[in-house]
Amino acid sequence: MNGIARTAGTVPGKPPESTEAQETMLGAGSRLNGDSIFRWLVTTAGIGVLLLLGGIILVMISGGMKAFETFGPSFFTTSIWNPVTQHFGALAPVFGTIVTSLIGLVVAVPLAFGAAFWLTQMAPARISFAVGMAVQLLAAVPSIIFGMWGFFVIVPLIARYVQPTLHHWFGHVPVVDALVAGAPFGTGLMTGGLILAVMIMPFVTAVMCDVFTSIPAVLKESGFGLGATRWEVMRNVILPWSRSAVVGSVVLGMGRAMGETMAVTFVIGNANKIGWSLFAPGNTIASLIALEFPESPAGSVKLSALMALGAILMAMSFVALAISRVLLGVSGKKEGR
Amino acid sequence: MTTQTDNGQAVTEKPAISVKSLDFYYGEHKALRNISMDFARRKVTGMIGPSGCGKSTLLRVLNRMYDLYPGQRATGEVVFDGRNIIGQGIDLNRLRARVGMVFQKPTPFPMSIYDNIAFGVKLHEKLSRSEMDGRVEDVLRRVALWAEVKDRLKASATALSGGQQQRLCIARTIATRPEVVLLDEPTSALDPVSTARIEELLDELKKEFTIAIVTHNMQQAARCADQVAFFYLGELVEMDSTDRMFTAPRETRTQDYITGRFG
Repeated sequence: MNGIARTAGTVPGKPPESTEAQETMLGAGSRLNGDSIFRWLVTTAGIGVLLLLGGIILVMISGGMKAFETFGPSFFTTSIWNPVTQHFGALAPVFGTIVTSLIGLVVAVPLAFGAAFWLTQMAPARISFAVGMAVQLLAAVPSIIFGMWGFFVIVPLIARYVQPTLHHWFGHVPVVDALVAGAPFGTGLMTGGLILAVMIMPFVTAVMCDVFTSIPAVLKESGFGLGATRWEVMRNVILPWSRSAVVGSVVLGMGRAMGETMAVTFVIGNANKIGWSLFAPGNTIASLIALEFPESPAGSVKLSALMALGAILMAMSFVALAISRVLLGVSGKKEGR
Repeated sequence: MTTQTDNGQAVTEKPAISVKSLDFYYGEHKALRNISMDFARRKVTGMIGPSGCGKSTLLRVLNRMYDLYPGQRATGEVVFDGRNIIGQGIDLNRLRARVGMVFQKPTPFPMSIYDNIAFGVKLHEKLSRSEMDGRVEDVLRRVALWAEVKDRLKASATALSGGQQQRLCIARTIATRPEVVLLDEPTSALDPVSTARIEELLDELKKEFTIAIVTHNMQQAARCADQVAFFYLGELVEMDSTDRMFTAPRETRTQDYITGRFG
């Protein structure tokens, strides 16, 4: 939000008015006017962003009020979603949102880091350019395409090979067996997480590439000058230097993962369940809202429950952002910044 | 493998680095032409010349920093410790630990003062905690920084002043116990007082290290260097002892440059 407000502030001011205005010197009425109009415009833009954010939050919370009132705190702790009995709880989609986002991050971030490292530090310039373009294009693929691709490619792979193989290896290992249990549908939390990983990977890669290339060349050369290898320079010079930006890119990726709707809806199985198995069908807040919204009459408790879920999703995004800020502050202090 | 003769007979000592018929290319552009010169052991060799004359390029050949960038290549011979270091099969990490480099702007790593020095040492040696503490103190004392930072070794190095940062960078470089220290205009970003301190430091350091310093500052070259090389348009015009270079240069181009008639 801050960034947007700041961008609005950098809009170039009006050019100086006429020479006449400049001649009036101290009593330069029209120039002062221009300045105050400009100030008024950018202030409006800045406050407008704040109002917009507040308005969205307000609509979500007031829309969800009916559900919060009807179910009370149990809305957050039950996983029932039953339109017939008019009983709704948020736990299952919240669980699904967190699990798929985490799977997405765990898979995407190391890949993105590796890709960014290779692209910026090791790859020959021409290949780096080509692959860099491909990454950018991948980031531009609409999410519905990822959904269809996931449904026709990833889902069968998971159903036919991945889950049976994992079940074969870990099916008898205590604790782990629960994670791979269940019938091999192919759709489920793991598939949703993998799709999310594919979707946020190019995004996180692109941001990390920008970060890694923005480091001053002499700082890198100082590392190499002491006899460090590329990895040692990355680990000890580039990463500490760019830590906040790297964490920032990960959080942005997580925000995108939590809110992603269509691609996940295609492959997650859309079952309102909570379980240990990563391969069992589930749902996320966004996928549930997308699926149920058309069947929710105005003024119904169900619509209110969906709005309440929207409010929860926003709150989760804010919490993720806040946590990252706190983490950055703590690690910054440790290094004596 | 380093210095066997400590009894003052410097004249008979073999040069630390010997450059022979060196050419250097940035892609198609030839930046150095047929350079041949010796860097005398435990002396300060000053390199002067107008911007773009190739003196910094030569410095970057001596530790093969140019290797990081595709399209840059050197031909000829640079002999260090009996080997041609621009040839094949050189352990670049080892080479760069033995031929250290300090840059124009101070480049402290984003970590504590202590870690800035320990970083390079850890790459090449396994030291115990107390040995490392000793090494850090030793190099900080030698760059006259110890008194200023001994109470805040764990504080971030980026909070130091520019002059302190540059001395820290020199400390960091000598902490890996190199034989040669390359300095690329090390004082051009510093105030006069910090500059004077670095120059004093060079006098101390040359007792142990071979030093090559690129500078735009004639007075600095005259004050610090034992021998001076003048570069112009990628060529080594003239190289001689500092006294002779500044009092009786053989070439008129050298004469013109050091008296400020061009450059």
